[in-house]
Amino acid sequence: MADDSETITTLLETALVARGYEVTVARNGPDTYEKGKTEKLDLVILDHLMPGLLGLEIIEKWRAEGIETPVIVLSGVDDDRTVVQSLEIGAVDFVRKPFRLNELMARIKQRISG
Amino acid sequence: MSGIEFLRITVLVVFSLNGLLALTLIVWKALHRRRQKGYERRRVAYLTLLSRHLADPDEDLEMSPMVAEDQAFLDALIDIRTSVTGAESDALAEVIGSYGVMDRYARRLGSRHFRIRRLRAAVALAEVADSSRAGVLMKALDDHDPEVRIQAARGLGRMKWTPAIDKIVDRFSIETPWVRARFSDTLIGFGQKATWPLVAYVKVNHRFETAGPTAAIRTLGTIGDQDAARPMVEVLEQAFHLEIQLPTIETLGVLGAPIAVPHLEALMDAEDWRLRAKAAGALGDIRDVSAVDRLALGLTDRNWWVRRNSAAALGKIPGGVRLLYHAISSADPFARDAAAEALYDAGELIAARRRVDQGEATPNDLALIRLIAQEEVLAS
Repeated sequence: MADDSETITTLLETALVARGYEVTVARNGPDTYEKGKTEKLDLVILDHLMPGLLGLEIIEKWRAEGIETPVIVLSGVDDDRTVVQSLEIGAVDFVRKPFRLNELMARIKQRISG
Repeated sequence: MSGIEFLRITVLVVFSLNGLLALTLIVWKALHRRRQKGYERRRVAYLTLLSRHLADPDEDLEMSPMVAEDQAFLDALIDIRTSVTGAESDALAEVIGSYGVMDRYARRLGSRHFRIRRLRAAVALAEVADSSRAGVLMKALDDHDPEVRIQAARGLGRMKWTPAIDKIVDRFSIETPWVRARFSDTLIGFGQKATWPLVAYVKVNHRFETAGPTAAIRTLGTIGDQDAARPMVEVLEQAFHLEIQLPTIETLGVLGAPIAVPHLEALMDAEDWRLRAKAAGALGDIRDVSAVDRLALGLTDRNWWVRRNSAAALGKIPGGVRLLYHAISSADPFARDAAAEALYDAGELIAARRRVDQGEATPNDLALIRLIAQEEVLAS
């Protein structure tokens, strides 16, 4: 779970833990990138506008290095170009903020069990 | 008391006072830091509690009603409320209602509290946008603090409280440019409902002042309601301030109002080059084919901006490109340059080069490539 907003990470971490998932949190771009490289992750929920490194840049770097962890982009940037670009560079889904928590949980469950 | 003794006592007093002041500052900073840490800790705790409640609505919040007095709780609630939507947003609305949060914010906004507390209250009421608080926000439009007024307008806009439109528009004349710009954003959010109040404001005020009506005219352009076209033409006919005429012309272009074409064509004969240039630009935005002949004349205008805008406008109108190609063979070097630049901007040079590569070049293609090559040589 990578987002620079403490509100979002607390909300999602609490909801995910309540559903039995194990969660790792990152609050900035470089930390997210490193965790994606060093930790074995089933899924990444990734904000786009993060300090240090943008979400889409992180996906591009991971993909270039052969890291294929599925990524759901969760972002307040909702212009069509960003959505299309996210999916083109390898994100599996794009969820706009503000979001419906239950809907996001269902998407996460589907990706992880799938 | 000797002079030296007096000096010694003075130095001692000054140093003591400085020391006391420094000590006070250190203690104050330490207390502030401690308070800030406590606030952060509580905010995170509230965030976690609210998150648990959203993750499992059956889980009770189990918080004292007194938490609604705690700024950390209020901030956590508003933060999380702006992050979610749907059922979670409804669940938080219930929390907000049951803890009387909006009542507290409404009281704070209406009181003579410190500016920061009123502003926080205005932001929270704007975020939640509960129309039962519209009255408090309407009053806050007269607050002496500009940021509070901006937030009040934003909140009224978010709740689509149409009675606020007239009041917001009326304040255009007395607000600073920054507040006017933010009010304009709010009015744009109201859409077509703001058209007639803005039109009425412009028609009444454009003879007496320029700043407010100019902002209102531009707001009408952004709203894009065609109903504003005729009254804007009337304003254009009556206005004598250039500051009113220029944005009105621009707005008529943005609205794409064919009704304005004869008036804009007439303005292309105006003495002031700024009016001629703006009119040419607006005619291009309207894209009415009837304007191409007048715009072709604009290519030979004595002013460079008018020539440039006329050429750019022709590039946008069906049939205009043909006239631009005609102009690049003109004996008039100014018309030639303006036409070449407009054709370049319209992507005609790339198309012409492609046709040359495919062996399908027309005389116009060759003329354009030759002219731009000459200009590049001159520029280098």
